[in-house]
Amino acid sequence: MAKHDTPLLDQLESGPWPSFVSDLKRQAETKPECWDILGQLELSYKDKITHWKHGGIVGVFGYGGGIVGRYSDVPTQFPGVEHFHTVRVNQPASKYYSTENLRAICDLWEKYGSGMTNMHGSTGDLVLLGTRTENLEPFFWDLTHELKQDLGGSGSNLRTPSCCLGQSRCEWACYDTQEVCYHLTMHYQDEIHRPAFPYKFKFKFSGCPNDCVAAIARSDFALIGGWKDDIRIDQAAVKEYVAGNYPSNGGAHSGRDWGAFDIKKEVLDLCPTGCMWMEGDELKIDNAECNRCMHCINVMPRALRPGKEKGATVCVGAKAPILDGAQFATMIIPFVKVDKESEFQEVIDVIENIWDWWMEVGKNRERVGETMQRVGLPTFLSVMGVEPVAQHVTEPRSNPYVFWKEEEVEGGFERNVAEFRKKHAM
Amino acid sequence: MAMSKEELKEAIVKKALNAPKPQLYIKDFYACDPDSKPRVIKNVANELVREGKLTFWSSGSTTMYAAKGRAQNEEGKKGE
Repeated sequence: MAKHDTPLLDQLESGPWPSFVSDLKRQAETKPECWDILGQLELSYKDKITHWKHGGIVGVFGYGGGIVGRYSDVPTQFPGVEHFHTVRVNQPASKYYSTENLRAICDLWEKYGSGMTNMHGSTGDLVLLGTRTENLEPFFWDLTHELKQDLGGSGSNLRTPSCCLGQSRCEWACYDTQEVCYHLTMHYQDEIHRPAFPYKFKFKFSGCPNDCVAAIARSDFALIGGWKDDIRIDQAAVKEYVAGNYPSNGGAHSGRDWGAFDIKKEVLDLCPTGCMWMEGDELKIDNAECNRCMHCINVMPRALRPGKEKGATVCVGAKAPILDGAQFATMIIPFVKVDKESEFQEVIDVIENIWDWWMEVGKNRERVGETMQRVGLPTFLSVMGVEPVAQHVTEPRSNPYVFWKEEEVEGGFERNVAEFRKKHAM
Repeated sequence: MAMSKEELKEAIVKKALNAPKPQLYIKDFYACDPDSKPRVIKNVANELVREGKLTFWSSGSTTMYAAKGRAQNEEGKKGE
């Protein structure tokens, strides 16, 4: 029976969609602290203010991340949620689980926590909601020793890296995202578990520009698969698409009659750089102008494939905060090799170059994208040792401020003003 | 010239004990030795946590450091 009256929350059960209120009530039958979550949330709805205090010194020994302290500011009213800490668990690469593993995690959380989970947090971790301080160490022991899993990142740490399905399922993956994700997770254990930076730092790995983990929108360091050479074309298959013998988009839109496939309307005219055209019944691509948007490949997967010389593009500086607005990452390095033989050294070099600079120049609670914006892209490129290319900018500059370095100017900045005025009177 | 590890530890603990604010960002410790690289200072500060001389304080999104006993501890505080 309900411990608190929750008329406002009860309304959330009246819609046609699944309700977290119903879930919490069901969970409260075995975990009575869930009644207090409902009670406190009802109070927050009435008071129009949160009753969670966050932050603190909670954690497990040796770790400076992975646990987020949560306390009720009305513990006498709701003693079940006096402590209600969140635990972040590092998810397996590409979120491949066995049901056995998921059951084991749920059993562990029923034992030590509220049983409530959040699958998954926006960074990718398994988020386990609600436990008391004294349960943290025993939970951590069982998690690491029995399930062989580890905590994820929180605070000013490297956050839990995440990746798309990559080559395990996807023919378009230009590098092995799972391998890179796993390797860098192990390589940067210290940065994941102990604070290192002015603020959070996120890695995300996408195998191709379809970017299934939204790396370009949500990570400080996005490694997005790409290719250096030409898109591979099977002209016979192009003809089959044009003739309507192959379904476009792999048949993904076959539930409705969209009419006959029109290569001009559906592919050529939608190419963002206009680099495709037909010559008779042959498809032509000016690959130097292609910006790897993947649209044509998505529409005609049997006719077009990524090139053979594969690697990745490094984009830096995305963030998706509540305040201040979201920011996409900026393309910094058009192509890096993602080479397992060298243990991804080329990628690691780029990461550590960014970190060394940001740790020194970044302000407290400033994401690397904000630091880049503050100092300007030319400065950031010069720190990274990258020569600017036209693709670094979206349009020609529209302000008159051109910053030259002295060594770039013939004769330097020294000049004889008197001599100059002889020719150019004021 | 950069400080030795022991000198750096001493300077960090001194700063953590005497700073007006009880909780400090990692960048606040950079001034303890401008010649040491930020990553060196971070590693030393984390070692001091393992030794029990400093403690982490985390809001969930940001982590700060405090001298043992100086960090704001929400536990045990009773609200209304």
